Amino acid sequence: MDKNIYDKQIRPGVIAVRALIYTVTAAVVTLVVAIIVYLIIKGLPYINWELLSTAPSRLNETYGIAPMIINTLYIVLITLVVSIPLGIGTAIYLAEYSKPGKIISAFRFAIEILAGIPSIVYGLFGLAFFVNTLRIGSGSGSMLSGALTCALIVLPTMIRTTEEALLQVNPTYREAAFSLGASKLHIIRTILLPCALPGIVVAVILSIGRIVSESAALLYTAGVDYTMPTNFAKHIVEPGAGLTVQLYLYATEGGAPDWVPYAMAAILMILVFVINLTANIIAGLFKKKVSVK
Amino acid sequence: MGIITTRNLNLYYGDKQAINNVSMEIEKNEITALIGPSGCGKSTFLRVLNRMNDIIPNCKTTGEVIFDNINIYSSKIDPMLIRKKIGMVFQKPNPFPLSIYDNIAYAPKYHGKKRAELDEIVESSLKAAALWDEVKDRLKKSAMSLSGGQQQRLCIARTIALNPEVILMDEATSALDPISTYKIEDLLATLKKTYTVVIVTHNMQQASRIADKTAFFLLGDLIEYDTTENIFTNPKNKQTLDYVSGHFG
Repeated sequence: MDKNIYDKQIRPGVIAVRALIYTVTAAVVTLVVAIIVYLIIKGLPYINWELLSTAPSRLNETYGIAPMIINTLYIVLITLVVSIPLGIGTAIYLAEYSKPGKIISAFRFAIEILAGIPSIVYGLFGLAFFVNTLRIGSGSGSMLSGALTCALIVLPTMIRTTEEALLQVNPTYREAAFSLGASKLHIIRTILLPCALPGIVVAVILSIGRIVSESAALLYTAGVDYTMPTNFAKHIVEPGAGLTVQLYLYATEGGAPDWVPYAMAAILMILVFVINLTANIIAGLFKKKVSVK
Repeated sequence: MGIITTRNLNLYYGDKQAINNVSMEIEKNEITALIGPSGCGKSTFLRVLNRMNDIIPNCKTTGEVIFDNINIYSSKIDPMLIRKKIGMVFQKPNPFPLSIYDNIAYAPKYHGKKRAELDEIVESSLKAAALWDEVKDRLKKSAMSLSGGQQQRLCIARTIALNPEVILMDEATSALDPISTYKIEDLLATLKKTYTVVIVTHNMQQASRIADKTAFFLLGDLIEYDTTENIFTNPKNKQTLDYVSGHFG
């Protein structure tokens, strides 16, 4: 047969690169699935209502985790209440009001540095400042001290992601609103923030993930108490271990059968999943108001 | 005196001067076209007229722009209120990602119109922009679902909704197809009965078709400003003649 110049060719390089990409992807997916399946198998069978609804008792040798779930939720909520206004406010300033200059670039640089500091360093600062100097709540740490420390940890991500989202909004909207005599604040409120909302929700989701998984900083600042909180408001200034801190304590100091940390790990995973899902649904609801199609 | 008069207007982007000492009178209820090659300062000049250049950093203006017997560059003037009276339509249609209704109602609502008046404003503005019949059944649909030409007429309606005195159009048809362009040109002929229109255009046929007066800009200078007929058939300046007869640009 004659060889035609348009015949299909075999390109070994392309095949090799494609094989490599597929392999790497498959490896990563397998790893993630393996971790999830492993935790589910080891932890899920032990999750029952008693575990979820009681406090641990050394005397009765029960290992309920209700206080830890409550503590984690407290810290997540308080952190968000503190960090969302601060983060979004700063991002709006940086994206819409700040004029480029030395001070602003120094400020941006500082934010980037903050994002890279290990959380244990924040924990140390939180201990020295919120717990020992300001004496917020109990001397062994409190929900509020822990949450304030977490707010410091998530602020850089919150600011950068929100700023990015604001800058991505089509600049012609700003121009159009200006030409209609609208003030900057009104444009931010009615056009920019709604358009940037999906990005802001992403920032919040990332922050929640970071807070739920935080243990080092909270060990210093939120205490290790594992009793059931009795007063909704007072608990803000009481100490308490979240899921990750208690998990860390069980894993390093023992005091509980092997299945307990696994059950807690499975619950952490489910918690993060539920939080992400909720955030996405909320974002979807808002997105409908500012429709693109 | 015209509705807008500029006196010895200079504009600088940093050190670079973009407009040189332009004095010009824009007449009420006429269409004035600004023509000239790219970078000649015509768009910049247009944006001077409603202080849209304010949002560009390092942009400095000297001289006067007199509108309604006041210098709009005087320090006690609120530029937002100027823009309410001197509206602007841009090169690319830029409706907000909101419903058709909310796009039109956006500015009147902000400037304090009552909810009850809004329906009326939306309808009359869309009618004035010759868009009402095409969208009256889907006012709650997103403005992004409209075609480019419809979006541009929506932007014109959005400007009209503020009941301005002057409408500035920065190459408002250059991103549109010929039929949409024709519709907008047609619309302008009607709009000038109520409003004063200033357009920037690259399209000399467009200027000659619709403008009453035409101004020719070159390198930041106002070279010649006269009736459109004179500019295109009997220009006094050699550079104007070269430009309108297609020798450069």
